[in-house]
Amino acid sequence: MKEQPSQSLPANAYLNLDPRTKLFLLLIISTIMISGEIRGMALYARLVLAAIPFVLLILGRRAKAAAIYAILFAAAWLAEAFLIYNTKGIANIVIVMLSGLISRFVPCVIMGYYTISTTRVSEFLAAMERMRFPRNITIPIAVMFRFFPTIAEESHSIDNAMKMRGIGARSFVGNPAVALEYRLVPLLMSVVKIGDELSASALTRGLGGPEKRTNVCKIGFGAWDAAFASLAVSAAVFYFVSLGG
Amino acid sequence: MSNKLNTKDLINIGIFTAIYFAVFYVTGMIGYIPICEVLVPLLLPLVTGIPFMLFLTKIDKFGMVTIMGIIVSLILFATGHSWLVMAVGIPCAVIADLILKSGEYKSWRKIIVGFCIFSEWIMGAMLPMWIMRDAYFDRIRAGYGDEYTDTLMSLMSGWMIAVMALMVVVGGIAGAYIGRSTLKRHFERAGIA
Repeated sequence: MKEQPSQSLPANAYLNLDPRTKLFLLLIISTIMISGEIRGMALYARLVLAAIPFVLLILGRRAKAAAIYAILFAAAWLAEAFLIYNTKGIANIVIVMLSGLISRFVPCVIMGYYTISTTRVSEFLAAMERMRFPRNITIPIAVMFRFFPTIAEESHSIDNAMKMRGIGARSFVGNPAVALEYRLVPLLMSVVKIGDELSASALTRGLGGPEKRTNVCKIGFGAWDAAFASLAVSAAVFYFVSLGG
Repeated sequence: MSNKLNTKDLINIGIFTAIYFAVFYVTGMIGYIPICEVLVPLLLPLVTGIPFMLFLTKIDKFGMVTIMGIIVSLILFATGHSWLVMAVGIPCAVIADLILKSGEYKSWRKIIVGFCIFSEWIMGAMLPMWIMRDAYFDRIRAGYGDEYTDTLMSLMSGWMIAVMALMVVVGGIAGAYIGRSTLKRHFERAGIA
């Protein structure tokens, strides 16, 4: 079996938070950034929250992503601060829309990228089991992550097979219904068959047995988890207090 | 046969959720083209009809659609959508599951209704567009005055939500029919469905 992309991590990350902390940060950041109040002191709370994914990316040795994020966010922030009141007409609408979208949604997307790209699948499952998620949820999620690479691989092979018969991407442009039929149907057929084999093999190896499953991943909260979580919570509290006052 | 989901069912749910999500992801790419974003609510159920109908032939126990909905909204949340995805998506999935269950996952009419309701979860991903509206229009008002702002607001007003929700239904009905005919033409003949 090929190694799944989400299982490869930079081994030299300075810091890796507990998956539960990442989800918690994501919840706070997405709630507050999207609600998007920019008046008064609430502005600073949002700046702090926007900085969290940046710091985490640096600590996770993803400097390139961090740099792109910083430039994008700074540009949108400056545009919101200065350009909006100094431009007119269509340019103004475009700037308002773009900067508004970026400053609200990009921090959440970046935090999501960080969460997904720095969490191994088994770590994620271990965290979900600790949070008492039932087997009915954890087993499908495990299967799902196991299946994404398979779907990509099968889809690639089908693409090649179709090219050999002269049914390339170009013939789909005029006729999307054909694209659905020629790509999705064979894909479903092969994936369903692979799935049947997978469930047979998983069952013989004891998935679904009555015993509690164990996991080799060590997860747990540390000082950094506490630091980031309390930073986010205090920014959130500050945000709501400043809105109320 | 017991009515509870066994491990084999859970694995099947995982497989179909993976397919559903992959198809959704490819469709969602279209949404990055500025104007086409509006089309996503129509396209999503249209394209996912085929895997969903096949899913319904594989399992017929309560919980299958609920679990799929929970996982899809959980993954969307984990990739940076707002918590609204879960607040809309999970109830939609539960209601769809109840409706499908009442038809024992066989009644065609209930399948159509259930599939449309399940697909409405996409509205959860769209809602922030309207929630950030107030802050957005406040700033326009500061720059342009009332007349201009009111015109713009009436154009982008709340009824767009209704239009999009309706597009999901239209896409859902069409998707269900496409799914069923594809099922008949290909999968039943191949002995998969």
